[in-house]
Amino acid sequence: MKVKDLEKLENEGVETLPSEERRRFLQFGLSVTGVFLGGTVLSLSSAGNAQGALGGMRPATKFPYSPHYTMVMRQNHCVDCERCKEACQTTNHVPSYGYRTTILEQERPISPDQNERIFMPILCNHCNRPPCVRVCPTSATFKDKETGIVKMIYKRCIGCKTCMAACPYNARYFKEENRAVDKCNFCYDTKLKESGGKTTACSEACPADVRVFGDLTDHTSKAYKLIHAPEKVVWVLRPETGALPNVFYMND
Amino acid sequence: MKFNDRSAQSLLTVLVFGAVLLFSGGQVVAEEYDEDTYGPEAPIIFVKPVKAVDFSHKVHTMDAGLECDSCHDDIFEMEAGVAEQNDDFTMKSLYAGKYCGACHDGDMAFASNKRCTFCHIGVKGFERIYGAPAPAAH
Repeated sequence: MKVKDLEKLENEGVETLPSEERRRFLQFGLSVTGVFLGGTVLSLSSAGNAQGALGGMRPATKFPYSPHYTMVMRQNHCVDCERCKEACQTTNHVPSYGYRTTILEQERPISPDQNERIFMPILCNHCNRPPCVRVCPTSATFKDKETGIVKMIYKRCIGCKTCMAACPYNARYFKEENRAVDKCNFCYDTKLKESGGKTTACSEACPADVRVFGDLTDHTSKAYKLIHAPEKVVWVLRPETGALPNVFYMND
Repeated sequence: MKFNDRSAQSLLTVLVFGAVLLFSGGQVVAEEYDEDTYGPEAPIIFVKPVKAVDFSHKVHTMDAGLECDSCHDDIFEMEAGVAEQNDDFTMKSLYAGKYCGACHDGDMAFASNKRCTFCHIGVKGFERIYGAPAPAAH
């Protein structure tokens, strides 16, 4: 195919391809260029404006929920003061043996004799395709149709903990007091409503403005602007699971 | 035979020389840390306004070559923990050139609004040094 023709093509993605066909396509991509990246064959020849081949993900124009709640982590500002964790524990009555949100610590080598410390706040990612919801045998956990928040109905939970095993983000724990699994719900019943949908306890408590809570359908929101800022790399955790998380990370 | 003797001798020489290098010359003799010259060796751990920040005298004096009076008593009181009690001991003050910000301005040393985790060790770092608090009773 000529470059001119290639430029006219749309990227149809690999999601709809049967696995046999996808495997052949992958092999083809590898044999042609040696590189295959997420549905995009990187060619060594110049392909001009061939968005169909090079574009990868296009910016989303529509979001499935309204408001579509999200949290953007300005990760390099996190200093692990854990005020978010304390606020969450008080607001949502989280026992000391569990967490709805926590901070992970990482050491990244930046030179042969030096490491850089990285703190990574984590919480439920309120995935668009939540593996926990899919495996729950009693529909005790579900995706809120309006806000996209992954919620719990405690009295329906039988404590089988399958959701805990399914969650790629380790964002669930078994709460002895409720005899049910508990998780972050963006403070839906404790903070979100009383703040008029503006903030969560953790986001409010953060002194470094690491946790930016917001609505993706509101293009004036800080969260939306951060995610769509030019020249910034935004990432999600464990994208390979296909869960389509709604918590984004960046160094800002 | 004579040749073999000589090669054995030279091998021995190399071995001995190597051993000498390994045990003496190969190692740089570390300068003794003198607390009177360089300040207390134990790290200063600030817990206000947030837990926790690690300050090392060694890094600033012995390694970076600062004198005691570079910071004491103008920027920091000699007594540990005094600055921490001040209401203005905040990042905002640092950006305005107070406390650590006197040098950490992006010119003399890295700016105080960059590389947060270089000094901030967090609750995790604090607990590594002092141990985790006993969990609350239920």
